[in-house]
Amino acid sequence: MKRFLNLLKKEIKELVTAQLIISLAFTIILFNFIGQVSRKEVQKAIGVQTISALDMDGSPASLALLKGLESARFKILNQAGKTKEQALEAAKAGDSKLLLVIPAGFGDSLKGLKPSEIETYSFMRTFSLIGARGQIVVGGVISALNNVLSNNFIRERLPDVDPGSLKNPIRSKDFVVVRDRMAEGSAAQVANLISSQSLLIPVVLMMIVIYSSQMVISAIAMEKQNKTLETLLTVPIRRTSIITAKMLAAGLVGLISAGIYMFGFKSFVGGIGEEAARAGAQAGGGGGAAMMRQLGLYFNTSGYIVLGVALFLAILVALAIAMILGVLAEDFRSAQNMIMPLMFMVMIPYFISLFADINTVPLPVKIFILAIPFSHPFLVSQNLYLGNYGLIFGGLAYMLVVFVVLVVFAARVFSSDKILTMKLRFGKKKGATA
Amino acid sequence: MDNVLTVRGLKKSYGKQMALAGIDFEVRPGEVFALIGPNGAGKTTTLRIIATLLTPGEGTISFLNHDLRKEPDFVREKISYLPEEAGAYKNMKGLDYLHFMANFYARTPEEEKAFVDRAVEITELGDRLKTKVGTYSKGMTRKILLARALMTKPVLAILDEPTSGLDVLNALEVREIVRRYVKEGTSVLLSSHNMLEIEFLSDRVALLHNPLLPSGVQLGGRILDSGTPAELKERHQAKNLEEVFRSSLR
Repeated sequence: MKRFLNLLKKEIKELVTAQLIISLAFTIILFNFIGQVSRKEVQKAIGVQTISALDMDGSPASLALLKGLESARFKILNQAGKTKEQALEAAKAGDSKLLLVIPAGFGDSLKGLKPSEIETYSFMRTFSLIGARGQIVVGGVISALNNVLSNNFIRERLPDVDPGSLKNPIRSKDFVVVRDRMAEGSAAQVANLISSQSLLIPVVLMMIVIYSSQMVISAIAMEKQNKTLETLLTVPIRRTSIITAKMLAAGLVGLISAGIYMFGFKSFVGGIGEEAARAGAQAGGGGGAAMMRQLGLYFNTSGYIVLGVALFLAILVALAIAMILGVLAEDFRSAQNMIMPLMFMVMIPYFISLFADINTVPLPVKIFILAIPFSHPFLVSQNLYLGNYGLIFGGLAYMLVVFVVLVVFAARVFSSDKILTMKLRFGKKKGATA
Repeated sequence: MDNVLTVRGLKKSYGKQMALAGIDFEVRPGEVFALIGPNGAGKTTTLRIIATLLTPGEGTISFLNHDLRKEPDFVREKISYLPEEAGAYKNMKGLDYLHFMANFYARTPEEEKAFVDRAVEITELGDRLKTKVGTYSKGMTRKILLARALMTKPVLAILDEPTSGLDVLNALEVREIVRRYVKEGTSVLLSSHNMLEIEFLSDRVALLHNPLLPSGVQLGGRILDSGTPAELKERHQAKNLEEVFRSSLR
């Protein structure tokens, strides 16, 4: 144990370099900075926005429209008394995102049940989606006003008829059924919520796999390049201990690095997400969580534990593969390329889970996906929701078996001549030397 | 007294390429035994097998009457190996490197300190040991690696080309260190293609050669002759080991 700890300490020290600390600190600072900037932009977009309005009508209907916009958190700069061109120039020169022109006769047209036109001029000073939000909100306000006005007309002409029923004679009440539970809501809404909840799983997995695997592969490649591996293999410590120490060190440092990375990522995403959620809550949303709870589509403690175990096993499998790839790498440079096959193995199930349903794909594709150990953490989260425990524990057992087989194989490679004679260089002929 | 190491009929091949075609030799307690021969003769392969890095093909290897093939862990406890192109961890300070390596062999902190003190004495690097290995010259790195190999007073020190790539003065120092520290009971198995160096260092030598046929096929390393440098020179009527080697090839 003393020898193992001696080696583990050295492995961790080798991995935690000033370079790593600087890059992690830089990542956090960068994400934080982007998060802050995004937060300010979102605040600006959902906060009070300045628009200009040229009311050439001055009727009660046009005043009601402007009042409606003010209640939708718009600050209106009235351009009264100007021509359209003058109003355009004035609005363009100022902070206004948009100029709203209400033509003369707007109110009379409405009274006469004739379609009325208003004009909007959006000043696109940026092409970001957040920047275009002003016009979307104006559209929403106009749509609400259309609704109010048409309702008023119907009530005036047909006092005994409900305007809502007349405009929408057929209504749909949507229900979603998951296993034996049912809740009011749409299937699209459920799918959207689940995909947003599971978004973090592939990101976490990818980050840890990238960090840890790169570390293991590089650690072995560096031992080879610096000619320290031969000496290490002759000291009195078991080969399995060497493998375990390298994997454990990379796993620990990878986990911490990924945690720090995720912290930065959260503050970046939070910059947009929190503000948007706040805006959504203000708009009267927030029914999604209740619906998901009613459907049983949420993780309880045991669900999180199962997901954690799945992620942990996937990381162990990645580290074991990285260990074997590290043996193949001749030097640090070729080790950098070795990470690519591993990355593809993680990305394939991610992309397939984005665009296809594993249960409906053809059997050979299904077998291919299930054979990739990294598919299972993605599937675990879906199967937890659906209560497919057989598939969950089957997947976990499969990952465990793959890990054990890979570690035994890695230990064999470390105990054989291959550790010194196996070489793989991209673009060059492979062969054995001694 | 029993041999430290006894090798009988050792064969090794890499695929179709024969590296060793059956060699026999033994290392006695407290002696410096050298394998000499040109590049590709099988010296490094032999040393790597004894150091438990490569698996032996055919033949038997007995280390302190233990079968190396069956008990590699026992062998690793008692030997130390200095590869030809060895390096040390560049990010470590010299002293930290010595402590790291001593920790694998020492049973107590006192023993670890004793090993490191001995290594410090061997290197004669003083305060430079407090700086990172990455800043060392080739000669300094070789000295610290040699000190690492000898500090634990191993039963058998396996040194592959110990002066390889060193200038005259550094090579001389390394030879003196080997000579000085083996007197304390360590046996040494070393390899070199520098036959003059071997004559200065070794008690007994074996001449290793891997004949190359015109077809390009190598027949595998074999020992042409062995004995003390004096015996070999007398047997082959030669002035030095280089002439002995040429004579044995005939």
